[in-house]
Amino acid sequence: MAKDLKLYLGPNHPGMHGNFSVHMYVEGDKILRTRPLPGMLHRGFEKLMERRLWMNNLALIPRICVPEPDINEMVYAMGVEALAKVEIPERAHWIRMLILELARIANHLMSLGGIGGPTGLYTGPNWAIADRDLILDIFEAISGARVYHMYIVPGGVRKDLPEGIEEKISGFLDYLEGRMPEYEDLILNNPMIIKRTKDEIMLPEEVVWELGVTGIGMRSATGKPYDIRKIDPYARYDQIEFQVPTATYSDAYTRLTLKYKEIIQSVRIIRQVLEKMPQGDVRTNVSRGSALRWRIPAGQVYSHIECTRGEYGYYIVSDGSDQPYRVAVRGASYPQGLLGVEKYLPGHRIEDAAIWMDTMGVCAPEIDR
Amino acid sequence: MSYLIGLMLIVIAFLWQVTLEGFQRKVTAKVQRRVGPRWYQTFMDIFKAFSKSSISHGFIYDFGAMMTLGGTMATVVFLPFSGIVAFNGLDNFFVIIYLLAVGSLGMAMSAVGSGNPWASIGVMRALTQMVGYEVPFMIVVFGMIFGYGTSSISALVEVQAGGFLNWHLLRMPLGAIVGFISLMGMLAKKPYDTPIAPAEIASGPLVEYGGKHLGMLMLQHEFAVFIEVGLFVNLFLGGGGIVAYLIKYAAVYLFATIISAVLGRFKIEQVVYHFYKVPLALSLIQAAVVIFTGLGVEIWL
Repeated sequence: MAKDLKLYLGPNHPGMHGNFSVHMYVEGDKILRTRPLPGMLHRGFEKLMERRLWMNNLALIPRICVPEPDINEMVYAMGVEALAKVEIPERAHWIRMLILELARIANHLMSLGGIGGPTGLYTGPNWAIADRDLILDIFEAISGARVYHMYIVPGGVRKDLPEGIEEKISGFLDYLEGRMPEYEDLILNNPMIIKRTKDEIMLPEEVVWELGVTGIGMRSATGKPYDIRKIDPYARYDQIEFQVPTATYSDAYTRLTLKYKEIIQSVRIIRQVLEKMPQGDVRTNVSRGSALRWRIPAGQVYSHIECTRGEYGYYIVSDGSDQPYRVAVRGASYPQGLLGVEKYLPGHRIEDAAIWMDTMGVCAPEIDR
Repeated sequence: MSYLIGLMLIVIAFLWQVTLEGFQRKVTAKVQRRVGPRWYQTFMDIFKAFSKSSISHGFIYDFGAMMTLGGTMATVVFLPFSGIVAFNGLDNFFVIIYLLAVGSLGMAMSAVGSGNPWASIGVMRALTQMVGYEVPFMIVVFGMIFGYGTSSISALVEVQAGGFLNWHLLRMPLGAIVGFISLMGMLAKKPYDTPIAPAEIASGPLVEYGGKHLGMLMLQHEFAVFIEVGLFVNLFLGGGGIVAYLIKYAAVYLFATIISAVLGRFKIEQVVYHFYKVPLALSLIQAAVVIFTGLGVEIWL
């Protein structure tokens, strides 16, 4: 056994996203073994949900993924609606798509600019966070909250869009489209970023199949456009035209490029949503009585959607009472974040560990739910 | 008298560099579309750090922190500042380089004494990087010293007197490029901030510091920047009167800052490859030109 040194990447480390720890055993600069240690932020979401009313859970679930909370509301609402067999109003579908795509842009911006964290290009995160803030302004106008919106509820959305929000959103999209070339110049064409990410931190196709990686990781490695929005459309994604960017060579740089392309596709989706959105009601009741007395018929359902890191799903079991019997979360970053870290982070160098975590799309609370 | 001048140089270095550091943070903030802190924020940071209590990790840790601050302050005294020399005849290039190394070694001792593995990795990287940038820089300066037959910085400043056409920036353009790249390496500006990379090694040598010890290191950093940028201004931009010196100083430092704001960082082995590839080749060409053609003024103008 070589003499190795134990280093702690997280939970208190600038290169780590969220409360997650990786113990790295290194020899020189090379990582020999790693041991991911979730549990730093275990709040027992799944268990807590069994002790709360169907409606109460809405305040809890956005916390499962902090950078992108809306996917949780959506996937939970879809599951509950499927169990209760209710059809929600047409307009609610379109508003949901609007929210989800705005959230997708916000998250992709954060991770595209966020590559500046591990590579030292601090202009990237500063720009991206400032532009993301404009999206949070839109969320605030729509739902009253900036990060945890609790806006998508079972039965539709909480309330209708405020007046004049369409102009605000299209104004933002125009602004963002003007900014995208600057991001391309700053990040994707930056010689230092290219030097640090090109041909580094590979994700081979076998690993994708072995671990079950979805999302950008899978699309960049296999070239397959596996996107839940396309293969099992929810909301009204089947009535929208958009492309799923893919690649067949998955290094860190390719995955960054795909994020950039996905932002452009999301802008395209939002423009179509704004154009095609019908008028009408936005909410229907999933059960009789007030929201605190909801009883969802017994049954089980797996609902899944496409989040920025891949397939995100809830397996919900109801026994007909006013609380869920069991909810299991399929976190999109579980495969690469836990199994991938243990098996495929070794062999890289210390300085690549943070880029590894960043470009593989690891969101600690999804692992530790 | 010499001691008084030396003390005065230290005070000037502190006031000027810390003010400029605040201004530099403003410039970086503008590039990053932020407002940025107030210009005197760095003063407040340093005073705050010194007003806190701090934990010691043993004798070597304390001694190293004092050694790095003391060594660097001592170096400031020997650097000619716009023609002001505290100790006549001692404003020698080698004196400065060796005294500056005392500061670096103190930092290394102290950081390793803290016992944190991240700090050891950071120190290792800092010393590796030093090996990287010093070789091309030394070759350029040795060429200069060979050309004039003197290693006194005041003398090297004097030969550049009489207009910017005499500056080594124009007389030894390749050397000036190498000098600036090495300066970026010395200042640990991006892309050469590998030794203090926060996301990779948790700020490296600084990881265990807090309170007064951190204050000492912040102060040491400011003095080190004053020496390194001052060395470049003296060697390649012809020094000058106080105002001219400070303007040149600010221009060099802010130029380095702006470059730094739009670049990422190298890995440590990329740093060494980088320094041993282009800057080393340029410095060798420059040295050959100096050696075979005198200082080559006619060739370049």
